[in-house]
Order: sequence, then structure tokens, then C-alpha cells
Amino acid sequence: MDDKRLDEILSDAVRTYRSPPDAPLDAIWSRVEAEAFEVQPAKRAPGWRVFAGAIAATLLFGVLIGRATAGHDVASPLAATVSRTPARLASNSTGDAYQQQTQEFLGRTAVLLAALPSNGRPGTNDEKLTQQARQLLGTTRLLLDSPVGHEQRMRDLLEDLELVLAQVARLQPQRPGEALTLINEALEERDVVPRIRSAVADLSIGDH
Amino acid sequence: MLRAAIATSPDGADDERSLIALAAIGDRAASRALYDKHAARVHRLAYRVCGDPDLAEDLTQEVFVKVFRSLGQFRGESAFSTWVHRIAVTVSLNAMRKVKRLREREADLDEAHQHEFEPDAIDPDLRARLAAAIEALPDSVRIALVMHAIEGYTHAEIGQALGIAEGTSKAKVFDARARLRKALGDFQEEQ
Repeated sequence: MDDKRLDEILSDAVRTYRSPPDAPLDAIWSRVEAEAFEVQPAKRAPGWRVFAGAIAATLLFGVLIGRATAGHDVASPLAATVSRTPARLASNSTGDAYQQQTQEFLGRTAVLLAALPSNGRPGTNDEKLTQQARQLLGTTRLLLDSPVGHEQRMRDLLEDLELVLAQVARLQPQRPGEALTLINEALEERDVVPRIRSAVADLSIGDH
Repeated sequence: MLRAAIATSPDGADDERSLIALAAIGDRAASRALYDKHAARVHRLAYRVCGDPDLAEDLTQEVFVKVFRSLGQFRGESAFSTWVHRIAVTVSLNAMRKVKRLREREADLDEAHQHEFEPDAIDPDLRARLAAAIEALPDSVRIALVMHAIEGYTHAEIGQALGIAEGTSKAKVFDARARLRKALGDFQEEQ
């Protein structure tokens, strides 16, 4: 199928693909009004943050142990590891190197998420956080294009992390409020932190 | 006084800024005016993403509840519509994740058949294949395609709504088109 034919089909889809019905906008407004303008109770800090902190600490501990026992290759960045250890990759499987890097990436991401300010106020390390988020975003995209990204569950997690990290990377240190609210909600609603924990557990099983 | 200024202002952008200022301090009429201006497009996008009329209404409601609750934090650094759509995209994607976890959704193939056959129109079976192929795209790729190719958003708007660079939006749409071409490639059309 060529581009021209696809354009024709997509033009048709404007009219036929999930063509939206008339929205009952007045009825929706009544519900918005009832919910948006009621007095809001004070919000508690999200429960996942404590959870994320614990996971981050555990992962950091694991990574430190791993570094102490496995030598320097473990700590090198993804691209460097893949290019610098051909002998190891030849004897092991390429997948092991990617898995190791994925595990470390997930640990660093969990640490970053745990460090996000919860109250929407500027924190002292916000600039550092956005910088780290940009680095992790790059790694996410590398992993998405690597064999790790071929596994659907991991791909879903990486795509969620790509969106969250992109939002963190775009945080304005002086005014993080609204963006942080959205990030925190996204983390909670998509169960990102429990999914990181589960992915790390799966990768650990794969190690043995 | 401010409301009178809004009513007489010849500049649409100023009107909206004033409405936002009023809505931020809880003015219901200004909030309703902002809602009237943007709700239909938000609902369209929500429906295109989720394909369920009830869920699209719920999502539209959730988007505007968030908009009005966090309006005090809107700094005007991007257009108000961009800000609203960023919230709409986040809310819709989050909702779809939940829905997918709750039930494995069937591709809404029947809908493609609801459109009556018209001479020279696209084959209904091809429409069904397209719907299924769009449904199978990864979320971030699918929403970029739906926003650009079906709802007519620019890559700059998509970039701001998804929190990605304009070039990344283009790449995602390019990726989506490649996947669709592949998925539809073996479809035999009647001549």
C-alpha cells in the first residue's frame, strides 16, 4: 500500500473512525460544576511515594552489591556496555547485558520518582531532577529500540516511563505545581511504581 | 467591571485571558464560557481515543474538573487550549490504561460497518481493518496519529500536549503510518 492510498483511507477515517456522537455538553457541565466547585479537603501525600522510596532504597542496595561483586562493566552506560564487552556478550547472551542495564535504569528511575517533590512547591534539587530525567529519557528510548523493548509488558512500562520522564524533563523548576500534579496522578493511576518493582523482580529471576 | 470589559473587548485572546482570570477566582459564568469554548473539541478527542460514548463523557468531565481545580496554576506560558489538551491527553491515556487492565477490549470493528456503503467510498472491510490496525498501535503512537491525521492537530500542538518535541511527534506519526501500511498491505481491494 502506498502513501497516497493511505492518505485516502485516513481522510475517510476523519468521518468514519469513531465518529464522535453529539456530546451532551450541558449535562456534562452540570457534573463538572458540582464536582469542580465543591470545597476540596486537604490532600494527603500520595501513598506510592513511601512505597517508591522503599523500592528505590532496595534497588540502590542491590545495584551497589552488584557493582561490588561484578566489576566495573555493570556501572557503564548502556551503549558503552554493549560496545565495550563483545567477548562477554559472545559468551553470555546479548540479552543479559540489556537486562542488567534495564535493571539499573529502573533503579535510577525509581530513585528519581521518589525524589520528586510531592507538594507542588519548588525543591532544592529540581534542576538536577530535570537533568537526570533527560538522561533517563534518552536511555528509555535506547531500551525501547533494543531487544528489551520487544517484550510487550516491558515495552508498555518503558512507554509509560517515557511519557512521565518527558514531563519531568520539562518541569519548570520555579513553577512545578500543575505539571507535578499531573505527573503524580499519572504515576498513581498507571501503577508505575508497582510495575517497576514487578519488572525488576522478573529481571532478577531471569538472572538466575 | 471586569465582566463588562470582557463583553466589550474586541480582542478574542484578551477575552479569554479575562475569562481565565475570572474563572480562577471561582466565577461560574466565566468558567462556563471557557467550558463552552473548549468542551466539544475535548470530547471529540476523548471519544476518538476511547471509542465509548459514556467513557468519553466521563473523561470530558474529569478533564474540566482538573482544569478548573488547577486553573490558579495556569501561567499563560502556553495557549490555554494547549494546556487544556495536555490535560485531556493525560486523562484519556490514563483512563485507557485502566480500561485495558479491567477488560481486554474488543476492537470496535462493528462501528466501521455502521457507515452505509457509498459508491467510490472506502471498502467497509478496509475501514474495519484500519480501525483494528489503529487500535493495535502503541498508545503514544496511536494518540499522535489520531490527533494529527484524524483530528487535525499540528505537530507543535501534539508535542506540547504529549510533552515531547515537535520532531518526535512527526516521528511517531511516521511510525504509525508505516505500521498501518504494513497492517493493510495485504488487503485486496475490489477494482
